[in-house]
Amino acid sequence: MAFLLRRLGFYFGAFFVAITLNFLIPRLMPGDPATRILLSLRGKLRPDQIDAIRKTYGFSGSLWDQYLQYLWRLAHFDFGISTVNFPEPTASLLFYAAGWTLVLVGAATTLSFGIGITMGIWSAWRRGGFFDTFFTPINVMLNAFTPAVVALLLWYAFTMQWPIFPLGRAHEMNLTPGFNLETLLSVAWHAVLPVASIVIVSFGAWHLGMRNTMINLLNEDFVLLAKAKGLSDRRIRNRYVARNAILPQITSLALSIGFVLGGAFITEVVFNYPGLGKFTLNAIQTRDYSFIQAQLILLTMSVLVANLASDVLNVILDPRLRSAGRA
Amino acid sequence: MTDILPAITTTPPRAELTAPTQRELMAELGLKPRSRLLARLPGWAQLFVTNKKGLFGLAILAIFMILALLAPLITPYDPYRRAGKPHVQPGVEHFLGTSRQGKDNFSQLLEGSRASLTVGFIAGFSATLIGLAVGISAGYFGGKTDEVLTFFVNVSLVLPALPLIIVLASFIEEASPTVIGLVLALTGWGWSARTIRTQTLALKNREFVLAAELMGEKKWRIIVREILPNMSSFVVGGFVLATIYGILAEAALEFIGLGSPNSVTWGTMLYWAMRAQALQTGAWFEIWPPAIAIMLTGAALVMVNFAVDEITNPQLAATRRIGPIRRFLRRRNRRADFV
Repeated sequence: MAFLLRRLGFYFGAFFVAITLNFLIPRLMPGDPATRILLSLRGKLRPDQIDAIRKTYGFSGSLWDQYLQYLWRLAHFDFGISTVNFPEPTASLLFYAAGWTLVLVGAATTLSFGIGITMGIWSAWRRGGFFDTFFTPINVMLNAFTPAVVALLLWYAFTMQWPIFPLGRAHEMNLTPGFNLETLLSVAWHAVLPVASIVIVSFGAWHLGMRNTMINLLNEDFVLLAKAKGLSDRRIRNRYVARNAILPQITSLALSIGFVLGGAFITEVVFNYPGLGKFTLNAIQTRDYSFIQAQLILLTMSVLVANLASDVLNVILDPRLRSAGRA
Repeated sequence: MTDILPAITTTPPRAELTAPTQRELMAELGLKPRSRLLARLPGWAQLFVTNKKGLFGLAILAIFMILALLAPLITPYDPYRRAGKPHVQPGVEHFLGTSRQGKDNFSQLLEGSRASLTVGFIAGFSATLIGLAVGISAGYFGGKTDEVLTFFVNVSLVLPALPLIIVLASFIEEASPTVIGLVLALTGWGWSARTIRTQTLALKNREFVLAAELMGEKKWRIIVREILPNMSSFVVGGFVLATIYGILAEAALEFIGLGSPNSVTWGTMLYWAMRAQALQTGAWFEIWPPAIAIMLTGAALVMVNFAVDEITNPQLAATRRIGPIRRFLRRRNRRADFV
C-alpha cells in the first residue's frame, strides 16, 4: 500500500508540473491567443470588446489570478470554447476525438505488446538460432521506421494499389450509430490499416526488451535449479523466466503509452481518422489554442492513469513489492 | 565466459572420430583469427569493427553525412527555387523528378539531409548533455539534490512528449529546424539521465572513487576524471537513442505542419508531398525519396545502437556465438543443454 501511495503522490506532482507548463507556455511566448485573435480582426474592436475577449480566454488580471482561474476551470473540465467550431465547448470535441483514439491505441497496444512479448520469449529461448538472428534485427529496425512513413506505405499499398481497405474515416457514412454488428464490423474494418501501422512501428521494442531481459535472467541460479529439478522446458520458460522478465516490460508499457499516442497522432492524419491527432492537426492549422492545450491535459491524465494501472499490476504480479512496501 | 558454455550431454564415444585440428575447428565454428591490424586498435574499437551490424549502420550513416556535407556542391538545382514544371517525371534532367511546386526533388533530398541530420545530432547532443549533468549530479551528490532531480527525471519520462511538443511548437510561430531540435532535447533527456544516474550510483562506491575522495580531490574533478570516463558506453548509447528520437520526431512534427514550411528538410518534403496529394496523382517520386531516407537513417542508427548494446552487455554479444556452437555439436550427434 505504501508503495502505491508514494506513486500516487508522484503522479499528482507530475500532473501539477504538466498543467503549470501548460499554463506558462502561452504566457511566456510573445503574443497570447487573445492578442492573436485581435490581430486577426485587424483592430476593428472597441477597447471594452478587447477586454471581453481577454477575459474569455483567461488572460486578464495578474499572473497569479490567471493561474487560480485556470486551475478553477480545469477542476470543472472547462477547457474553454473552440474558436473554430464556435460556440462548441472544446471539451465535447475533445472527448469525441479521444474515443476514436482510444479504439486505435487500445487495439494497437494490445496487439503489439502480445506479438512483441511472444516473439521476445521465443528468440531469447532459442537465442542465436535462426528465429533470433533473423527476426530480432528486423523487428527492431521496423521500430525506427517512423509512423508517418509506415502509415503512408500501407495507405498507398492497400487503398491505392490494391484497394482492399477504405480510404479513411472510422466507419461508413450511412450507418445507424450504436452497438449493432454492422457498425462494429465497419469500425473494425476501418481500423485495420491504422492499427497495423502503429503495431508495425512499436512491437519491435517489446521484442527486444523481453529478449534482453530474458537472456540476462536465463543465466541466473534459480533457472539452473529449476532445470536440475527436472522441470519441463515449457514450465521453466513461461513460469520462471518469462514471468520475471515481463515485470519491467509492464512498467515500460505504461511509459510507452505517450509514444504510442504520438504514433497514433501521425497515423490518424494519414488515414483521415477522426481521433485526437486529426483534430489536433486541424487545431494547429487554425490556431485553435484551447484545443491544443486541452489535448495535452487529457493525454497527460491518461498516461498517468496508465502508469498507476501498471504499478497496481506490478504489485499484483510481484510479491516482493507487496511485502516490502518500497520500490 | 564459463556461464555460456554448454553442459554437454555425452553420447557413447565413437572410435572412428579423430580429433580435429584447431584450425579446422575454428573454420567449422566460423571463427577467424584476428588480423594484426585489428589487434592494434583499442578493445572497444575491435569489438565495434567486428560487429557487422554496427559497421553496416555506421557505413549508411557515413554516406548520408558525406552527402549532407557536400550538398551545396553537388545539388544540381537550387533546392529553394522552382527548377522546372510541376511533377516532372524522373529522368535525365531531374534525377528524382520535381515536386508539385516545381522544385527539384533530388536537390531537396540532399539539402534536406543537412537539416535533418543536424537537427537529430543537435537534439541528441543537447539531450545527452542535459541527461549527463542531471544524472551525474543526482547520483553523485545524493540526498535532497537526488530527490528533487529524480522527481524531474521521472516527470519528464512520464509526460507524453509529442502532445507537449505540439503545444510548445504551436506557440512558437514557424519553428526553424534548430528550434525544433532544442525543443526535442528539452523533452528527450529523461532516459539518458536515468541510466546515467544508476551508473553513477554504482561507480560512487568503487574503490578508485573513494581513494580520490580520501586524497581530497575536488568534487568536480572526481566527476570529470574518475566517473565520466567509466560511463562512455552509456553516454554513447544514450546519444544514439536520443539522435534516433530527434530525427524521427523532427520528421513527424514537420509532417503534421509544425515546422517552418519554408525550410527544406525531409519532414517538410513529406509535408508538402502530402499536401500536394502526391500519391493520389501518381507523383510517387515526390514522397518516397524522403520517406526512404528517413527509414534508412533510422535503421542505421538502430544498428549502431545494437552494436553499442552488445559491447556494453557481453551476455547479449555471447548469444551470437551460440548458434554456430549448437550446429557444431549437432553435427557430432551431441546436444547442447542450454537453459
